[in-house]
Amino acid sequence: MDSIIYLHDGSFEGLMHAVAAAVKSKEDVQGIYAEKEFSPRIFDTCIQIKTDSQQSLRLFEYLKKLKGNAARFAINGFLSEDLQVGIHLYWLVRQCLVYGAKATQLYTHDSIRHLDKLSQKVGSEAHRFTGLIRFRILEDGLQYGPFEPDCNVIGYCAQHFRERLKNQSWILHDIRRNHALYWDRDSLQSIDIDESFTSHVRQYGEIPESSLSEAERYYQKLWKSFHAAIANQERKNLNLQRQFLPQRYWKYLVEMR
Amino acid sequence: MKTADKLKILADAAKYDASCSSSGSSRKAAPDGIGNAATSGICHSWAADGRCVSLLKILMSNECLYDCSYCLNRRSNTVQRATFTPEEVADLTINFYLRNYIEGLFLSSAVYASPDKTMADMVDVCRLLRNKHKFNGYIHLKVIPGAAKELVQQAGFLADRMSVNIELPSEASLQRLAPQKSRQGILTPMKQIGEDFTGFQLERKKSRNAPNFCPGGQTTQMIIGASAESDLQILNLTEKLYSKMSLKRVYYSAYIAVNDEPLLPALLTAPPLIREHRLYQADWLLRFYKYQSHEILSPAFPNLDERLDPKAAWALRNFDFFPIDINKASYEELLRIPGVGVTSARRIVTTRRIAAIREQDLKKIGLVLKRARFFMTINGKYLGDRSLSHHHLVSAMCKVEPPVAKKLLHGGRQLRLF
Repeated sequence: MDSIIYLHDGSFEGLMHAVAAAVKSKEDVQGIYAEKEFSPRIFDTCIQIKTDSQQSLRLFEYLKKLKGNAARFAINGFLSEDLQVGIHLYWLVRQCLVYGAKATQLYTHDSIRHLDKLSQKVGSEAHRFTGLIRFRILEDGLQYGPFEPDCNVIGYCAQHFRERLKNQSWILHDIRRNHALYWDRDSLQSIDIDESFTSHVRQYGEIPESSLSEAERYYQKLWKSFHAAIANQERKNLNLQRQFLPQRYWKYLVEMR
Repeated sequence: MKTADKLKILADAAKYDASCSSSGSSRKAAPDGIGNAATSGICHSWAADGRCVSLLKILMSNECLYDCSYCLNRRSNTVQRATFTPEEVADLTINFYLRNYIEGLFLSSAVYASPDKTMADMVDVCRLLRNKHKFNGYIHLKVIPGAAKELVQQAGFLADRMSVNIELPSEASLQRLAPQKSRQGILTPMKQIGEDFTGFQLERKKSRNAPNFCPGGQTTQMIIGASAESDLQILNLTEKLYSKMSLKRVYYSAYIAVNDEPLLPALLTAPPLIREHRLYQADWLLRFYKYQSHEILSPAFPNLDERLDPKAAWALRNFDFFPIDINKASYEELLRIPGVGVTSARRIVTTRRIAAIREQDLKKIGLVLKRARFFMTINGKYLGDRSLSHHHLVSAMCKVEPPVAKKLLHGGRQLRLF
């Protein structure tokens, strides 16, 4: 028998529309994928979705109205960039249509449990990076924070820093996805970062020498010496440190380099 | 002396303070200032001992008047001494904060000149940060026992959290090891902060304009293993501090033998990390699991079993309370099952609202059965081994202790050998 696959353009709206269409079709849908991440097999029937924001908004409004975690599951599921998230959301919606908002707590359901895990993963990584991003302050006072998250959490981080550092201008730069957000004390916008600058940061985990001001070097040195001094040698436990601070996050951390 | 050198000395001297939490307070950024405080608290890094670094934890000075025998900075020790100026501390805090190294400042100090002068300087730092730099990040301030009442109150209006160290678990030990400090001197400011905290909270319910007093509440810290108190004494004290003084947290710090002192454990004695760990577990039982200290320990058994989680130890002592049926037990009863924490208990309650939980669902809910299976039934079925004698059950429970605890236990033993 053919398996029915829905394909969308990879945007959040596309995903929502594809899920909505799949649920409406009342067919036994086997998968919902972004086009570029999917190569069809011989017996697959692929249905291409042309994103209609009206359709996706309707589903999203429904999930938001449900209270509970449904809307968060959808957003965080998308941000987790998990390849299978589409079909799990499909099952979430179908369960919600039966049980209402309670469905998001139906941990015995595989898809819902998976979405809960993804949502937690995104949430906790976002929280983690609110602490782990290290800003480099350039000569003109602009703050530049490079980082490489597993999930697409730059939006959450920007939300945090626009509250905290609203009188500073700063750039958050997700090096992995090469996506940068710029806050000019007033509004947040997407910008492009110079390629040679980006590749230097990617390679060395630090901004080029020419941009490193005297003050920046001074405070980096102080921070490193503070970080070393605050550890109790009698209680040294590098495993524990690594457990909380996995090595994949070390690259841009001033104190761990 | 350069700021860099002072930072090294005074951060090193501050490393014995256990607390680094930045939670419990929520502060919005000022329109023309920097920083806010997040209710949940944020960890920014982890030091080589595995403890989180959330605040710039430093002493104002380590030039101490006192000669407490457990302290590295006591007067009679020859160590490098330094004192920050308030401007230096403020500058460090702001520059670290902007770079997102820290969540705020944790300022403690040795007592130099007099308690009043020390406290006044520390309040000055806070004032500089809050008023001049319009800093709305987190500030944790140690209170110097013996400082004037007015100073303590001023500090409360500026800081997010305050703490007075109770130092040692009993008055007798305090007299023996820190003769210049007194129990009364420590409890007085603690009481004052507690009263002001509740007082201003009530005021704020009436009027939005009432000042915020120490919104993150107060904590304290005591040294474990420098004196002879039993765990029961420590836990009883902890319970009283929570109920009578409404403290947010009580921190324990395993004594690190820094001084060659006849009254204290010898130099090179390993810090009692496993004991500290078990005490924290017991503390969690008091705060989140609704246990009382007399349930955890009794005069006949005044010390925690180092091999076992205190919750498991309680369950083994009260085995007639079990097994509990997952589908019928109340939330409070579920919390008593070893291996079932707050998250699992909540999940069980929400899941069974929709349908009764089946055996194959347990893993899906995220319940780890390693320990729980000996203490629960599911739809009448017992998942443990009925043929185990009590003695074997105890050793089975010791076996499934988490590796971290086992490591602490064995690490401690190995070090004690030489």
